[in-house]
Amino acid sequence: MVDLRAAGRAPWLGAGLGTALVVALSGALVPVRDNVTPASPALLLVLTVVVAGVVGGAASAVVTAVVAATAFNLVFVVPYWTLKVNAGEDWVALGVFLAVALVIGVLVAEQAERRRAAEAREADLRVLYEQMQAIAAERARLLEEAGRVSVLERVDEQRAALLRSVSHDLRTPLSAIRAVAEDLRDGPAYDDATRAELLATVCEEAERLDRIVANLLSMSRIEAGAFQPSRQAVDLAELVADRSRRLRALFRQARLQVDLPADLPLVDGDYSQLDQVVTNLLENAARYAPPGSTVRVTARPVGEGAVDGGVELRVADEGIGVPEWERARVFEPFRRGEGSASSGVGLAICKAVVDAHGGRISVHRTPGGGATFVVQLPAGG
Amino acid sequence: MAKILVVDDEAAILRALRAGLEARGHQALLATSGEEAIGKVALDAPDVVVLDLGLPDMDGLDVLRRIREWSDVPVVVLTAEGSDDRKVQALDEGADDYVTKPFSMAELLARLRVALRHRASGGGPPLDASVLEVGDVRLDLGRHEATVGGRPVDLTPKEFAFLAFLARWPGRVLTHRAILQEVWGPEYGTETQYLRVYASQLRKKLADDPEQPRLVTEPGVGYRLVDPAERPRP
Repeated sequence: MVDLRAAGRAPWLGAGLGTALVVALSGALVPVRDNVTPASPALLLVLTVVVAGVVGGAASAVVTAVVAATAFNLVFVVPYWTLKVNAGEDWVALGVFLAVALVIGVLVAEQAERRRAAEAREADLRVLYEQMQAIAAERARLLEEAGRVSVLERVDEQRAALLRSVSHDLRTPLSAIRAVAEDLRDGPAYDDATRAELLATVCEEAERLDRIVANLLSMSRIEAGAFQPSRQAVDLAELVADRSRRLRALFRQARLQVDLPADLPLVDGDYSQLDQVVTNLLENAARYAPPGSTVRVTARPVGEGAVDGGVELRVADEGIGVPEWERARVFEPFRRGEGSASSGVGLAICKAVVDAHGGRISVHRTPGGGATFVVQLPAGG
Repeated sequence: MAKILVVDDEAAILRALRAGLEARGHQALLATSGEEAIGKVALDAPDVVVLDLGLPDMDGLDVLRRIREWSDVPVVVLTAEGSDDRKVQALDEGADDYVTKPFSMAELLARLRVALRHRASGGGPPLDASVLEVGDVRLDLGRHEATVGGRPVDLTPKEFAFLAFLARWPGRVLTHRAILQEVWGPEYGTETQYLRVYASQLRKKLADDPEQPRLVTEPGVGYRLVDPAERPRP
């Protein structure tokens, strides 16, 4: 490799330059040649070999060394202007000069060659490095693109899941309403008690539809980023009592037990949003509570710490509970519990509301089995 | 009076169906999960099962498969899903019919009547029946002759076979695949465009009223031949 590059260098230029320098130097030293020892021109002539070696490589150095030795003989060895050598010591000087010039010239040439090769390697490496950087940048760009695509796909999936759950959720209460209403209109004459029960079913299912629509509206507001609580002092005990009364129909099979202390601090929050949290938690508990079990709603003031002095609300059911690995994910939208008939947005809304209030929501295991949802909200100013 | 098992996890649907069925003199049995349904089919021997496909503990189709392993009790599937695939799957797995939520009580009762009638007749007319009648449509299988209200109708062999297959199961939905395999042969199954062409020709020849057709299209699922006089009010 080094040889090929040396061939590619300029050996003629080196030899020419060396020869020219030899001629010029010799010419310049002619007037003073009798006043100096031959060692001075010899050393200066070696320099020309060095220059030729650096510029043109080893071959130039060899040519220049021979030219310099000849010039040394012609100009500085008596008798001048001939190739003749009289003194034996002049032979030695000439031989030593040629040998030294050759060795130094070749060494310098090789050194220069090595430097050039190293520079070329460095340039190659730099190009390679730049190419790798370009590839890395391209890869990063592709990864980013892939990330964007997967986000879009996720959004699409969520949208499809929303449509599926909306159509399922809306149709279930609608089925009951339609079947009952048409049957009351066209069907057999029912006795009063059955009739009352059927009408109550229609009302309950209509309320359920209303709750589903409210949840869907909230979900769309949350997704649009337009979900700001308008804060006021909220009496959570009153809110829970009111909502429990309205949702009594959900607790036909399971029992609802509300136990809130009278001295609960006021909460700094949006009444209707917090109402939705309580509604969704109660509806969720009613859905999973086995017949004959109890759903317990409790609350207590919490000291300085987690939520800086506020209220902790607990809704505990005795159902199948939430497995450990599912606990963080139950608050993601469109995530239904095992075999659940819910839209999977209720708990996501709870989390969005509680987060917007600067609170915390989590799910734990009810002692003895079941799920306990814990909501911590900051106290009112 | 029939013993009807209703399987649904929605309390409101169960209340509505129990009241509706009992008011019409039927006995309503209720189940809220797949396991409970399978147990009640085995223990209480209902005459017909109304099965919701979305159950909390297992897929309704699996419940159907488990029941079909040892029982031929008629099953009418309730489905809230928009996808026709689930309906076709349920019919292929041995369901007798389906009703899509939201449904009317009259519609469900009409399907239950058809299912009960098939059970009473042992699953269609005897194979050697020589005459099939659905309302005013009469098919003489021996002579390959069809009449509508006594008026002779000229049918091609394929049209006759199509109509005869539907007429063996009056009021009951038959899937595209079932019809294609019966009329065209076992290597067919996806050529629903044939069915559209033949159904349209048959409606013309039967002089079907588009408002009250005898040959009813169940979009994405199949066809059924009904007696318009027995049709439930919409």
